Amino acid sequence: MNPYETLGVKPSASQEEIKNAYRSLAKKLHPDLNPGNKSSEKKFKEVNAAYEMIGAAEARAKFDQGETEAQEEARSRHQESRKGPFYHETQGGPGGATGRYSQSFEGMDDDLFSSIFGNQRNPRKADELYQMSVDFKDSILGAEKEITLPNGKRLKVKIPAGIESGTRLRFAGQAQDQSKAAHDLYIEIQVNPSPIFTRDGNHIEIEVPISAVESILGGEIKVPTLEGAVLLKVPPLVSSGQKLRASGLGVRGKGDQLVRLKIVNPDPKTTTLDDVTRNSLKEWNARHPFDPRTEANFK
Amino acid sequence: MITKMHSISIVEISKRTGVSEETLSNYIERNWISPTIENGHERKFDEEDLARIQLILDLTRDFGVNDESIPIILHLVDQIHFLRNRFRDHLA
Repeated sequence: MNPYETLGVKPSASQEEIKNAYRSLAKKLHPDLNPGNKSSEKKFKEVNAAYEMIGAAEARAKFDQGETEAQEEARSRHQESRKGPFYHETQGGPGGATGRYSQSFEGMDDDLFSSIFGNQRNPRKADELYQMSVDFKDSILGAEKEITLPNGKRLKVKIPAGIESGTRLRFAGQAQDQSKAAHDLYIEIQVNPSPIFTRDGNHIEIEVPISAVESILGGEIKVPTLEGAVLLKVPPLVSSGQKLRASGLGVRGKGDQLVRLKIVNPDPKTTTLDDVTRNSLKEWNARHPFDPRTEANFK
Repeated sequence: MITKMHSISIVEISKRTGVSEETLSNYIERNWISPTIENGHERKFDEEDLARIQLILDLTRDFGVNDESIPIILHLVDQIHFLRNRFRDHLA
């Protein structure tokens, strides 16, 4: 093979020109852009092998000097890097299982296909996929559940700590088609949201209200966590939005619980501010003048 | 017809694709690939994951596609395969 001819460049071409020629051909011939076109696939492989031979200056120099070993090296490098199928080959074919990734669109085509085919849908041969809802707490701390499949079989499902919605757990050979052939069974996890906790990576977050007095004087507050309530020390003079950390109380073994403080004042309809308190606060403010809007560069 | 090959470890996938384990973890975090989890914590890949990683590499290295565009392309590619399979089933 003459790699210059395969890539359509002159032997005097610069490395940049070779790279551009390769990219241009790869975009045109890539098998995932031409699924099922064997001629494109063959040419794409030739273009790749040619680029392995002259795409890098060092390899090109060896080729130009007629080193046949270098050509073999390039060919085997290409074969090694291209082991395995192209993506479109894993996404189903006649009588074959559908790819996991394209299967995620399952159920979204009802309107489209009922309008075209009048609801005549054929069952497909595929691995079985089920959905399972998991409590937020179990998704963070991990759990083990037992479920019953439609065929009556019971299955133990180990939910790893930190699992996220959309994760699929595979159970090899646990499903059977009509001919009793074994297929894999997948369980897709859906995590139910928590009314008070949110997740940020391996950390979980909760907003905890504190009074104005607690925000000034500090103190200990009781904070709910997924492993029971804990006492957390609030330092004096904290602000709304400030976060305290409860170490080790996020995703088990990986994260923390972050406690976002929110200063909440009493309801003005039911609480009055007496003169003694009002004057005392004014005096304190006079001794410690502070304008948060100046700090925020609003002036 | 491709025979599914299950249970390839992240170390093996890294070796076969030349992509570091850290970058593979990044692909997982971005939901570009979704390996299955076995024994409660082990991330296991199959031929489909391997081919998808190779496609991502072709897109980023050879086609000059940037990271923001990758999930959009993958989404469209998956949608096309889904529709192709549906048509095939209906015509069968």
